Amino acid sequence: MKCLVSLPEALWVLLTFVSCLSIVAATDYFERLDLTPLPLGSLLASFEFRSNESLEAYASQDFRYFPRSLGQVLQHAGTKELHLRFTTGRWDTETWGARPWDGTKEGATGVELWAWIESDTEQEAMRKWLTLNQGLSGLFCASMNFIDETRTTKPSLSFQRTGDHRNASLHLLHGVLPGKAGVASLLDGHKVFDASWQSMSVDVRPRCVSGQNCLVEIDQTIDMVLNIARAKRPREDPIPRPVQPYELICDETKPYHSQDTCYPIDALETPAWSLKDVFGRPAAGACPLAEEGGPEAKSLCLNIPHSQGVWIGAGGFEVRSPPGEAEKRCYQMIAGEPFDFDMPKTSVRTHKQIELEEELITAERTMTGHGAAKGGMRTVFTNPSATEPVNLVLFESLPWFLRPFMHTLKAQIVESEFPFEWEIIKDLYYRPAVDRRRGTQIEVVLSIPPASVVMVTYDFDKAILRYTEYPPDANRGFIVAPAVVRILDKADASGNAKAIYLRTTSLLLALPTPDFSMPYNVIILTSTVMALAFGSIFNILIRRFVAFDEVPENKIGKLVKSARLRVATLKEKITGTKADKTE
Amino acid sequence: MGLLRSSLSNIRTSPRLLKAPPYISLLCFLGGIIWILLLPLDEYSRRTYISENALLPGQVHTYFHGTEQNIFRAYRHEVAEVLEVQEHVQQDGSKAYMKATPQHRNQRIRDLFGNSGIKSAVQSYKYTVGGQDFEGENVYGVVHAPRGDGTESIVIVAPVENFEGQLNTDGVTLLLTLARYFSRWSLWSKDIILLVTPDTSTGPQAWIDAYLSQHDPEMVASLSLKSGAIQGVICIDFPFRHSFHALHISYDGINGQLPNLDLINTATQISAGQLGIPTLLQSQHLYAKPEAQHHYLNRLKVLGHGMRNQAVGHSTGAHSVFMPYHIDAITLTAVGDGREDEMAFGRVVESLTRSLNNLLEKLHQSFFFYLLLQNNRFVSIGTYLPSAMAVGAGFSVMAIYLWIKSGYEQREEKDQQHTKATEHDNGQRDRTEAALADASITNEQLFNTESAGGIDLARRKVWKPIDRPLVLPLTLIAGLYLTSLIPLAILVTAQKGALLTRTGSLCSVLIMVPIGLTFVLSNNPKLLHGTYFDGAPLEKQGNGAPRETGLVHSDLSPPSDSKTRVLQFHTILKSLSLLVLGLELTVLATLNFSLSMFLGVLCTPLCFAGFYKDSSSRAVASLVAVVLFNPFVVANAATLAAKLAGYYDGSVGLTDVLRIWLEAVSFGWRVHGAYGVPVGVFCVWLPAWTVATLGTVSSFVMDEEGKVEKRVEKVKGIAKDNLTQVKQAAQRRSSPSPARKRKK
Repeated sequence: MKCLVSLPEALWVLLTFVSCLSIVAATDYFERLDLTPLPLGSLLASFEFRSNESLEAYASQDFRYFPRSLGQVLQHAGTKELHLRFTTGRWDTETWGARPWDGTKEGATGVELWAWIESDTEQEAMRKWLTLNQGLSGLFCASMNFIDETRTTKPSLSFQRTGDHRNASLHLLHGVLPGKAGVASLLDGHKVFDASWQSMSVDVRPRCVSGQNCLVEIDQTIDMVLNIARAKRPREDPIPRPVQPYELICDETKPYHSQDTCYPIDALETPAWSLKDVFGRPAAGACPLAEEGGPEAKSLCLNIPHSQGVWIGAGGFEVRSPPGEAEKRCYQMIAGEPFDFDMPKTSVRTHKQIELEEELITAERTMTGHGAAKGGMRTVFTNPSATEPVNLVLFESLPWFLRPFMHTLKAQIVESEFPFEWEIIKDLYYRPAVDRRRGTQIEVVLSIPPASVVMVTYDFDKAILRYTEYPPDANRGFIVAPAVVRILDKADASGNAKAIYLRTTSLLLALPTPDFSMPYNVIILTSTVMALAFGSIFNILIRRFVAFDEVPENKIGKLVKSARLRVATLKEKITGTKADKTE
Repeated sequence: MGLLRSSLSNIRTSPRLLKAPPYISLLCFLGGIIWILLLPLDEYSRRTYISENALLPGQVHTYFHGTEQNIFRAYRHEVAEVLEVQEHVQQDGSKAYMKATPQHRNQRIRDLFGNSGIKSAVQSYKYTVGGQDFEGENVYGVVHAPRGDGTESIVIVAPVENFEGQLNTDGVTLLLTLARYFSRWSLWSKDIILLVTPDTSTGPQAWIDAYLSQHDPEMVASLSLKSGAIQGVICIDFPFRHSFHALHISYDGINGQLPNLDLINTATQISAGQLGIPTLLQSQHLYAKPEAQHHYLNRLKVLGHGMRNQAVGHSTGAHSVFMPYHIDAITLTAVGDGREDEMAFGRVVESLTRSLNNLLEKLHQSFFFYLLLQNNRFVSIGTYLPSAMAVGAGFSVMAIYLWIKSGYEQREEKDQQHTKATEHDNGQRDRTEAALADASITNEQLFNTESAGGIDLARRKVWKPIDRPLVLPLTLIAGLYLTSLIPLAILVTAQKGALLTRTGSLCSVLIMVPIGLTFVLSNNPKLLHGTYFDGAPLEKQGNGAPRETGLVHSDLSPPSDSKTRVLQFHTILKSLSLLVLGLELTVLATLNFSLSMFLGVLCTPLCFAGFYKDSSSRAVASLVAVVLFNPFVVANAATLAAKLAGYYDGSVGLTDVLRIWLEAVSFGWRVHGAYGVPVGVFCVWLPAWTVATLGTVSSFVMDEEGKVEKRVEKVKGIAKDNLTQVKQAAQRRSSPSPARKRKK
């Protein structure tokens, strides 16, 4: 199990699927860790684990390299292709450059899931989809069962099958559960997951090599951006206390620099680090499952310029990328030998930094307006390229209580150095919401002219929910799932179509929220009034009014009366006798 | 049912009851004011408490100390270089004093943000108000929450110049040092936006407008860097270099809106409770000693300051502009000379930010409507609102009273027989009216017997229901309220230089309006009498007969003589005016309590001023009232009071004070959307004043027919009459005589 870098126990939920058996064909398992230092003391770590199972074995439930629990859930729900994403945080394009895997391995904040389900009718597909969600929910300890019909959409333009399918009657269903759910929250608090951004993915798809040898492939990735300084803090004391005066890194050229005055320059430096510093332990050596030779065997790569020196330990040897390719170095590890390296301190001022790939387009989505009744959505696309236009699909899945006005959907060029007329909106796919049944689905095909900033806006109304439909934290607002942007017509180096995705941040929608204590006040007041009114009316209604002398006497009354009578007669006797005497 | 009806109509015309409403209304006014005066007492106010459990104020350790101070000192050098006037030695050896340009300043601030690895951006804006440009550039940085998605954010603001125009060098430095410190923590659940604005009014306004995309792109640039929904705003104001004694919390927003009380309580709890730095409110340090803050008078002063700020509804700091967008904000200002240094201030901000960071929902638990008396005592809306409502009700009571009064006239009846005959004549009339008339007779009998000492029963005065002509009064009232928008528009659109002269001419025009109206009405008797007499000569009209008129169909007879008619017109006019006034004040009380209260008190004399033809002493009193309680006189008196109270130094004249105020009103209207004072004065107070003045002037210049009195002697006569009356009254007081002379 402990193959690459040994990860904390919490990750096992995901990595149980990486079954590590001793007798396997080497091609059935592959693993890799890419480390890319990013500016401002950050580090991008991308883990990838991939394993195969032949389709026959998969169908007969003879699972060897495929996790049984997941395989059974998929088979039960008739799922042919599955893509599951857990993401937390925001990829900072400005500082970190292009996304890892071109954004194909990341999802919206929270949980995102899309799958191709085999079924004859749409109803059946939906039923299977819900079954799948329930199953995955239990498997991943994530609240994916909340991806119900209202959060499910059927994208037509934004997602494409990546596997080789023979059956045509496949239904694509897509669901997002925005917010703090899933494995991401499970891992929260751990040192490794004190990351600025992290994304985990599971992809299952069938692949046919030559039309005959069909395989089921499971590909798992974990990407995270770590802050090296933060990651290096001891686990027992993660508080960033003020450092001791001698630890301060000051700019001593400042005229005012003195014993008690320090202009800090530490943020511009990347501290020295090693695998042990960042992940808590060194790599445990090469995995016996993986290939022992060839390019795939070099399972740990470091994307740094060749000019930079790294001290490596005894457990592996270094292979640098040939000239002409992007500068990086990979390490071949030896099975059973722990491996680590020491990366010296670098500074922006003195060291050459690796050139970050620029994102083809940046998208920023914000909400405009204020108040509880209306609002607007604004998505700003910036195309930095001076020559190339970018065609993309903007996919939005909106909750039903956010009601967009499609007639207000506008796209306009805000800033441009491109002098010609340009048609921005090429195509539109819109599926309106049904209250409490399903959300709105908008897919817009846009074309962004070169060197331009395009703003896509629309207005919306906010619905008033029923009293019981509010969550316990109603005043927080409702999270609107991020928009998915798929960039079209891009090809990789070998000319194949290349999928590039990016996602905007999620938004907080403030709905009109009632004062929840009010009903209780009303209930209390009404109850009091009811009690008073009911009491007196009931009293009057059931009481029989009779004259005093009509009241029949009860036993005690009789007794009292007779006693009184006796006393009276006795008195009379006495007084009478007295009177007699006086007479 | 009939019994109930007649007893009700008995009440309606009961002479004792008819005398009561003015006193009830007076009682309402006095009650409202006394109510406010009771609020500072312990019995009527409450101790503050934290409602929102998530805030956990002061529950965290603060670590902003030690070597952070070394960095603060270095940043202070950097910031002072671009903020303060610097000495430059020129090539020829001479010294020059100059200040860095705003661009240079912002570049330095951006560099300091960048030095901590924080993304930053600038935003420029330019407001033009009354021909004057307010130009500037905001610079701000965003500390992204490490694992956050940018859905929520906290804003920390440090204006370069504070509300008093002092340079906030230490505040800006503190913001930058805190920014660096905050970016090292990994516990943030919300993004932290650090904003440096050139001033406290235009900069924050431009920024928040653009943040919510509510800005006018002509004047304000869009923001290139954004984050999520703003959960709270803390403004830092540290305008001196020495250590301080206490933190002053400002919280008044535009149009008297207030932040959630939890925010103020949290700041107080952290500062005064956890860190031992006293907190002050409403410039308390200027008039209340720390140990005497709980005294009645000091609490009343805090209350008064709070109410004044709320009524004026102008910006009181950088925090004010956030309130209209339902974003809770406060300003913390260091005051006094004490032992707390900048790091202590920083720890308060740190702890407060941590508390806001804990929030799961928007601040909504605690009060949004409150009056603070001390840093730990407040009055909630349920306790203070009745006072403004009582004042509003005072006008409504008076309006209803005048309305009832306008529907009846006193007529002399020969005897019982005649009355019955009249009743017979009006046989077709509604039975209720008959019963009413019947009832009134009985009452009037009583009344006459009582007051006149039982003279001649055959000659009685009876209250007769009469027709109310409403067309003219309604038109006048509607016209007055609609035209009140004209001076409002003139004032708020005036150029800066022309503001004072324009207001002066506006003032003289507005004073002439009621006088002019009086003369128009008196010179056109058709206006007054024509509505239900078809313009036919008065003499030819029969009394008591129901009539079909051109405009109003009514079964009731019109007033019998022109004197009653004029009186009735004024009564209806005033009734309608007071009705609208009462309504406006009541509605306003729920929006801006203090403004409603102040307007209500200022309008109180107008409630009693009006048309008094038969009592010249009352007419004179109401003239005094309308002269004194007119917006222009009150504004001038207020400038004098402000000058005497020492708000402005000696070099500022009274006119200058007025000019400053007018500029503030115009600026507030156009930049902040502060509508309170101009709308309150022009749309609530001025129409009420105009109607009261119309009545008062009429009682001097109109004769009984409603025409302008030709002879000036008559006016003199009134004065003489007044004098004799006063003399008689004095005599009566000295020698009480049983026979009281009743004036007809």
